[in-house]
Amino acid sequence: MTVTDRVEQVFIRPDGKEKVTGAGRYTADLNLTGQAHAAFRFADHPHARITRIDTATARAMPGVFAVITHVDVPEIRYGGMVSDRHLFAHDVVRWEGDVVAAVAARTPELARAAAAAIEVDYEVLDPLPDFVANAEPGAPLVHADWQSYGGSRSMGRDGNILGRSTIVKGDADAAMATADVVVRGTYRADASQGAPIEPRAVIAQWTGDKVTVWTSTQVPFAARDGVAHTLGIPQSAVRVIVPLLGGGFGSKCDFHFEGHIAALARAARRPVKLVFSRREEFIAPDHRREGMLIELETGVMRDGRIVARRGRLTLDGGAYCGEGGFFAQMAAMHACGPYVLENVNVESRLVYSTNQPSASVRAPTAPQTCWALEQHMDAIAAAIGLDGAELRRRTLIEAGAVGPAGQVFGEVGAKQALEAALELIGYDDYLRGELPDDEAIGIACGWWPSMASPSGAYVKLNGDGTGVIITGAQECGSGAVMGLPLLAAAELGMRPEDFTLHYQDTDSGPWDMGASGSQTTFNNGRAVIEAAREVRAQLLELASQQLEIDAAELELADGVVRAAGSPDVAVSIADLAGSGTPLLGKGSGELPENPPGETSSCVGVLGMETFLAPQLITHAARVKVDRQTGVVRVMEFAAAHDSGVILNRIGADGQVYGGVLMGIGQALSEATWFDEQGRQRNPGLLDYKLQTASDAPPIHIRWIEIDTPNAGPRGSKGVGEPPSVPTPGAIANGIAKVIGRPVHELPMTAERVWSVAVDSLGLEWIDTSGKDPSA
Amino acid sequence: MSGRTYTQAGSVADAVAAMAAGARPVAGGTDLVVGARHGKSPLPQAMVGIHRIPGLDSIEVDPNGAIRIGALVSHAAILDSPLLAEQAPGLLDASAIVGSHATRANGTLGGNVMNASPAMDTGAPLLCLGAQAVLTGSSGTRRLGLDELWISPGRTAASADELLEAIELPAPSGAGARGSAYVRLQYRRQMEIAVVGAAAVVRLSADGGRVADAAVAITAVTPVIVRVSAAEACLVGADLSGGGEELEAALQAAGRAAAWAATPISDVRASLGYRTQMVAVMTRRAAAAAIARARGQQVRVPASDWSVVR
Ligand SMILES: Cc1cc2nc3c(=O)[nH]c(=O)nc-3n(C[C@H](O)[C@H](O)[C@H](O)COP(=O)(O)OP(=O)(O)OC[C@H]3O[C@@H](n4cnc5c(N)ncnc54)[C@H](O)[C@@H]3O)c2cc1C
Repeated sequence: MTVTDRVEQVFIRPDGKEKVTGAGRYTADLNLTGQAHAAFRFADHPHARITRIDTATARAMPGVFAVITHVDVPEIRYGGMVSDRHLFAHDVVRWEGDVVAAVAARTPELARAAAAAIEVDYEVLDPLPDFVANAEPGAPLVHADWQSYGGSRSMGRDGNILGRSTIVKGDADAAMATADVVVRGTYRADASQGAPIEPRAVIAQWTGDKVTVWTSTQVPFAARDGVAHTLGIPQSAVRVIVPLLGGGFGSKCDFHFEGHIAALARAARRPVKLVFSRREEFIAPDHRREGMLIELETGVMRDGRIVARRGRLTLDGGAYCGEGGFFAQMAAMHACGPYVLENVNVESRLVYSTNQPSASVRAPTAPQTCWALEQHMDAIAAAIGLDGAELRRRTLIEAGAVGPAGQVFGEVGAKQALEAALELIGYDDYLRGELPDDEAIGIACGWWPSMASPSGAYVKLNGDGTGVIITGAQECGSGAVMGLPLLAAAELGMRPEDFTLHYQDTDSGPWDMGASGSQTTFNNGRAVIEAAREVRAQLLELASQQLEIDAAELELADGVVRAAGSPDVAVSIADLAGSGTPLLGKGSGELPENPPGETSSCVGVLGMETFLAPQLITHAARVKVDRQTGVVRVMEFAAAHDSGVILNRIGADGQVYGGVLMGIGQALSEATWFDEQGRQRNPGLLDYKLQTASDAPPIHIRWIEIDTPNAGPRGSKGVGEPPSVPTPGAIANGIAKVIGRPVHELPMTAERVWSVAVDSLGLEWIDTSGKDPSA
Repeated sequence: MSGRTYTQAGSVADAVAAMAAGARPVAGGTDLVVGARHGKSPLPQAMVGIHRIPGLDSIEVDPNGAIRIGALVSHAAILDSPLLAEQAPGLLDASAIVGSHATRANGTLGGNVMNASPAMDTGAPLLCLGAQAVLTGSSGTRRLGLDELWISPGRTAASADELLEAIELPAPSGAGARGSAYVRLQYRRQMEIAVVGAAAVVRLSADGGRVADAAVAITAVTPVIVRVSAAEACLVGADLSGGGEELEAALQAAGRAAAWAATPISDVRASLGYRTQMVAVMTRRAAAAAIARARGQQVRVPASDWSVVR
């Protein structure tokens, strides 16, 4: 299929109006007759052994319907690669958000009061928040007996290291010794959050043996399966419905509190509703972006050829594995980056700690690793006397290049993206010295894989010729599901407005992995097209009978089936749909295959050592640094992406705007800071500093549209996560140019930038430790 | 359930009566209600809404040239006042950066002052402008300087039944052009809280050649917002003629003096060391902006932005 074939590029999402006018209903807006309100009792210490739980006082409080703990649910562990959690802690609590008990009461206030009245005794254990120390042999274990837990062992279980992955190509040690120059760098990234505006809400209601759960999740099927697994009931007994979702950014992936609330509703014998406070939304989800220590070493020749890359990455997995088990390998790929590397040896370790668990947040592991690598690339360029853009020009991958694990790339737009971003930001003018000296342009390149996953859809037509798309895909705010009518309409010669969507209901839609991995259009789009094609065949068949023309000579356009070449010979789709014959299609489509790689020398291989339909990105940021305070402002931003063919320009652009702004936050202001105990110091929006609309710079976008085979529908790839990937790196490189030295801690807060500038610029330091001279 | 009461006052007398009976006044509610929702302190058992009291939302000049700003004047209204823009631009600098558009539309000057946070933004410029609080209670009306009003973080010298009616800015005395400015360290452009702030008000000599008078105050780095006389002394007399070296030296000295006067803490927003150094930077910038304004130069509101892009 060629680029000119592509469907209409600007389509306003059908849920837009209700969202912007406030008419939309989110989970917290729903109320069921007779419902009770839930509150959790969280762990009182980040690391402690529970010695006694007494719920008698709480149970006796007026207005309390149920108090449940681990004794009230089956003793079943759950988790991603390691089954390391229970719904309710009963032996050891491993982070401040571990749930010890839950209460259902007449009002939220009563529920909270009763939760506080539960008596819990602990033997306090030493917290283990230092994930780097936890990786050392002999470090005290976060999970003492985890060798007996269920789950996968593909990434090894060694001390506190829950995932270990290496990418090995050639002989990096030997090659390093031959390099003209060797550059090393150590980088440390703090944890951060998805921070959706909608705090989590869950409502559960039982009818007989069946429970319906309304929940703010990105992954309804994972939520359903989690409820069934932890409560020991069949999946058919659980129906998950997702009302409008107020953002997720990955943090609402995975099974979270649906099991607790279902169990509570069963015990309370009435519907139960949970709505998190903002503080709880920070503390309780087992889902935040991982802190990381990134150590890189690169051997390079004077002409820019990279002969060796060594790397060691240490990732804070937190208390439980969740769905973050794949992080070690994903991070290792980002320490390689979209560059031609002759020899590679990167080791990556995901380590337990008694911090909040890490799991997917938009492009997990990539922004931090890319931030480190791209600063490292600038350091390499400086060491051999090249401009950073030139080094990248010489080393980015192109068709035929061989990836870190032996993947041979097809046509990719890495180099085009670089040139486009440089042009959009005015890099040549900058090199000519046309910016004030407190401004500079930083650039960064990155990549992100497309993700193939089974998905399914039904398409049916109504009697008046309108249609319904029934999908298991989940809308998380990206608009990906909202764009599906475009694809069905194009197949059927109808208008996208002719379709409504039925989605976010596990009893009706086919199984789907949910809103994660930038893959909704990639996989569910394929399914919708396939389903629509079935309907198309049915329409052609009916029309062929009516018009007495061979189906092969018919076409669908403008709401009619007509004879190709003689448009007057036609029958409307509405007439065909109203004729009584059911028009109903289903589809999944054929899954694209991961490209082959050479992994015999790697460990912890999970299928990410080669990137399916990789998305290539260059970002360029013009930053201004207030050199006396360290406050950084991003003045202008350019984003050039190869995401394959773009199916809906307005939706794709929206992902870039949002992803860049989120990336600016991670670069400059967003971090979850833990105290020595591992408690969050800033669990609120006053001190967890998201960027505001006023901080948003103008963002220029260029799409490098390459019709990509073995990818998503119509040659597309994904678009959701990549915009977060190189943003912090681009900003970092701009900052370093202004203040003369790089900042090796993320976020690059004003104080951190200033601390580097104090030395590099020789700022005055007023020592007020002595006696006040004016006193 | 909780027996909490909320009434609405139609007059100052209504409000004072309710307050004498134990009710807390609510103006915009952006501190009181939002703070309670954050668990900072519980919502009071009895509240009296004062936002409908007529006459407390105007900005007026009396015949002597003193400016009276009603307690219910919002930050947005302060920004819209040509009178204040001319007479007290430093106050506009502060109101312009309070919270977000919504906060500025709802939050009042009276609420900001009576909340008595050491990080309140209007505090430092008001203090430097010599503002007085007009308080009316069961036993009449009195005026207090802001240095007497603020006792400790969150506490004022007003008694429980005293309503703040207005803030009064005295008429300028002495010849010579005046300028004022407030500058805050901000990590982002909306929804910030002062980590360090500084205000300066200056009067020039009649010929404009020197700084004749100066007031400097610092925000968020002492238990209550305070004037820094040592910094003021550094500015007074500074020669504005020539290449500006003397002014630059005076600004540097004032900044250092202010840093010495600060007693900041370390917390999640900034370390003690960084805060201390930033006191000097903010003080320099506020004084520079105030002097520039006194000399008739254009300094954008808020001066926090101007000082960065300058
Ligand atoms: C999101 C957000 C951002 C904010 N950002 C800033 C900021 O950047 N800078 C800043 O300084 N503040 C900020 N604030 C705090 C607040 O908005 C301001 O202090 C505002 O001016 C308070 O005014 P109010 O009318 O809402 O006060 P209220 O909440 O109504 O009252 C505050 C206190 O003053 C008392 N009070 C109010 N009026 C009177 C009166 N006339 N007489 C006696 N007592 C009275 C009340 O009893 C209460 O104790 C922010 C608040 C929010 C919610």
